Amino acid sequence: MQTTHMATPVLEVAHLEKVYGALGNVTRALNDVSFTVNRGEFVGIMGASGSGKSTLLNCVSTIDSATSGTIRINGQDVTRMKQTKLSQFRREELGFIFQDSNLLDTLTARENIALPLTIARTNSAEISTRVQDVAARLSISQVLDKYPYQMSGGQQQRVAAARALVTDPTMIMADEPTGALDSKSARLLLESLEALNRRLRATVLMVTHDSFAASYTSRVLFIRDGKIFTELRRGDTDRREFFDRIMEVVAMMGGEGSDAL
Amino acid sequence: MLCKLAWGNVRRAGRDYLVYLLTLTLGVTVFYAFNTISMQVDIAGIDEEGLAQVMGSILGDLTYFLAGVMAFLMVYANNFIMKRRKKEFGLYQVLGMGRGRVATIMALETVIVSVVAFVAGIVLGVGLSQLMTFFTASLFKTQIANFHFFFSVHAFNLTLACMLVMFVLTLLLNLRAVRRTKLIELMGAERRNESIKTRNPWIAIAIFAVGVVLVGVAYYRLLRDGFPLTATDSKLQEAMNQFGITTAMVTVGTFALFWGLSGMLIKLLQSLRGVYWRGLNMFTVRQLAAKVNTVCFSMGVIAMLLFLAITSVTCGMSIANVMNENLERYNPVDVSQTYVYYTPDTLDYYKEYVNPSEADRMVLADTTVDLYPAWHGKGKSADNNDETGKKVDIADVAGEHVQIDSYLSYPFGGSNPSVSAGEMCKTMGEKLPKALGGSNADTMGLFVTPASQYNKLRQMMDEEPVSIGRDQYLLTCDMGGELGDLYTKYMAGGHTLTLGGHELKPATDKSDKDTAAIANSAMGSNPGTVVVADELLSQLNLQPYSSNLLVNYKQGMDVTKADESIKYTLLDDLLVDGKKPGSWGVFMTRSEMYTQAAQMNGMISYLAIYIGFVLVVACAAILSIQQLSNVADGSRSYRVLAQIGCDDRQIRHSVMAQQAVFFLFPLAVGLAHSFVALKVIIELVSIFGDMSIGGTVGLTCAIFLAAYGGYFLVTYLMSAGMVQAAIATRYSE
Repeated sequence: MQTTHMATPVLEVAHLEKVYGALGNVTRALNDVSFTVNRGEFVGIMGASGSGKSTLLNCVSTIDSATSGTIRINGQDVTRMKQTKLSQFRREELGFIFQDSNLLDTLTARENIALPLTIARTNSAEISTRVQDVAARLSISQVLDKYPYQMSGGQQQRVAAARALVTDPTMIMADEPTGALDSKSARLLLESLEALNRRLRATVLMVTHDSFAASYTSRVLFIRDGKIFTELRRGDTDRREFFDRIMEVVAMMGGEGSDAL
Repeated sequence: MLCKLAWGNVRRAGRDYLVYLLTLTLGVTVFYAFNTISMQVDIAGIDEEGLAQVMGSILGDLTYFLAGVMAFLMVYANNFIMKRRKKEFGLYQVLGMGRGRVATIMALETVIVSVVAFVAGIVLGVGLSQLMTFFTASLFKTQIANFHFFFSVHAFNLTLACMLVMFVLTLLLNLRAVRRTKLIELMGAERRNESIKTRNPWIAIAIFAVGVVLVGVAYYRLLRDGFPLTATDSKLQEAMNQFGITTAMVTVGTFALFWGLSGMLIKLLQSLRGVYWRGLNMFTVRQLAAKVNTVCFSMGVIAMLLFLAITSVTCGMSIANVMNENLERYNPVDVSQTYVYYTPDTLDYYKEYVNPSEADRMVLADTTVDLYPAWHGKGKSADNNDETGKKVDIADVAGEHVQIDSYLSYPFGGSNPSVSAGEMCKTMGEKLPKALGGSNADTMGLFVTPASQYNKLRQMMDEEPVSIGRDQYLLTCDMGGELGDLYTKYMAGGHTLTLGGHELKPATDKSDKDTAAIANSAMGSNPGTVVVADELLSQLNLQPYSSNLLVNYKQGMDVTKADESIKYTLLDDLLVDGKKPGSWGVFMTRSEMYTQAAQMNGMISYLAIYIGFVLVVACAAILSIQQLSNVADGSRSYRVLAQIGCDDRQIRHSVMAQQAVFFLFPLAVGLAHSFVALKVIIELVSIFGDMSIGGTVGLTCAIFLAAYGGYFLVTYLMSAGMVQAAIATRYSE
């Protein structure tokens, strides 16, 4: 059903390279990576530890700088942006969800969610309604006045998701969002992301090494040794079948078990 | 192996250890330098024995105080470092190292840092103490005749002992921390969501309000009651108790203020929705609230310490100023000698309690005695009381001289003064100056002196005589300030005085303070005297109180030599018909008074500045450590902020705002306390002289504030650097 909407590209990565280290001790973390993500897509990036998937996400999310190549988000080349422009860009175009929810300990859930809006100087009445809305969508309305340490891991992660969504970003970046969750909470979060993607046409880019998490996406890019190894599209298959196909690729790449830890 | 590991750790954790190292070094430096003061005094050419003794005893007490402050500082810095190193110690245990060996590594680390700090501190301290010698000399107004490099073994030993005690103390604390903490906590020290101790904001607001009320009432009580210094013996205990209550109120109030501060801030800002939900304001306030909860105690301590520092410095230096400025007025002649007559009370006291046979040789004075012919005796040596056999007579050195007799304002054998400051105030419908309330100065009343003696002194001081008719009076007082103003007001108002049934009118419209001294003194000798015509005085038959002989040396005579020749004299008893009408009192040369005043002034300023400086630096260091550890703890938060698109400038502003509150709020509270206390102190001191706060005090305070501000600035810059580093770190590896 998404195919009809896949006209406009949101993210275009071309010939991206990232080299760490100095003379004599060079690590090529990304080696000529190119791909495109269209509006409304839910894309997963899979790979073993050290494959370069996190470096890729860091570069795309403008937190790390690329050595060469271009990254265009909504037509803007982020590799050429100045530092001050970058934070504005992050604020307006991107939403982040991390492995550990990265909520601020001293703020309540409501305040954590509102933070990107207050930083952008949205007026307080609008902040209030938008926080209520996003909280309702992620079913966390009842924990809005609690502090992070008073919430379960799943709730914390959904609050983090709400914080990522509240600004209506062009793209949501999720880095191992289920990594720290038990299986029930993980499923709840993935279903929320899937629903966001389906119902609200949110574009999601998710890094994971968990095939189960990847099976919720509409397309999976496999990365090995800094290169794109292959790509899987879900098409009209159901999630279970897609999961099996992902497992096959993983097995072919060297087995998931070796890097499960 | 363990040594190598420990050494590596110290080097790697350099930045964390730097704070600890700096604090420790600072402590050692200050402590060593402070304990060399007696040596500095020596080199600065201050050779007064009495001073060295007084300094010695004061310094002895202060050393304990200083050691206490230092200990607090070091335990604090140590906790900071332990918190940062928990994870590493956890890791060693996970890798299978026994707790004993972990403890050894930690002890070794502490040893390394302590030794480095000690050596650096002593080197700096030795340097600082050389510099301070010049500072000391300038404060005590002496010249350094023979400057040489010095090293105080005494101070070194004291510092070493103090460091050892503190070292053992911190080590025990650290070992306890390692033993008691669970491994999981050590490992997870960084990761875990910090549980926020939230307080019910309404309770916090209530506590804050209680704090405000307590402090306010304490201020009111202090302004109303003043310090319990001037109360008479019977009321002293009660006054002290009341003062104790006031002190307790202000202390409890201060802590309550800080305890409730965070809750109050949150509620206040949340009610301003537009402000709270804007930029990082919400984050800043919450961050403050979370920390204020845990540091409210130390903020209270800091506010009180700053209060002490500001008050002691301002007050000490102002008193010294008063003494200095009025020294000329207080010391009109080269040398003065007081003679105090026996009153019926003294005689009774001698008969009953002291020595009845001695009392038989005493007689009640019904008239004054001429001191000039009676001032002779046997010379004695300067360093002990051995007689030299030389005969000394005042006539050998005396040029111009005058005797000033002070009578009580009631007839011989009477007891109620007919002239007193209290009565004057009543006549004018004014309140008695607070410092006089219930004191001896009021119950004894004013003295009475004949005009001829007063005018003779004026003549010696190159002033025109004042003509005082038989029905006139003149009020004199050399203390200036409020008391002098009171007398001037009385005379200017044309109020009359009644003395022995005679009604007297003011001779002029102004009381005299410039030629009013009746003896050389440090802070004034004449609290109030009625000068009347000689023929009136002779009719009144008043009770003699004391006589003062004021002498200028012969023209062209060397003052130092003259001083030396009469200074050490055992005076012969003054006998009238074989009996003593009184006893010799204070003998004071002007040059001695000047030296004493300069030294007193120096000592007060010195101690005030020193204590103040130590306190301010200690406070600033504590705050600095607190803030740096806060920033380090919060680095994750700053990284998150950067990731969700907050620019660096906003983050830095938030850090600045948080630190400003921590630095400025205790300072503001301390200043407010000082302001009130100083107002009362000024009122008290102004009885004796015109006390003003300015000049050197202003400069000193400016230096202190600069030191405090400097700490603030350095802390902020370091924090900004830490935040920058945290933001720059990639969020996942």
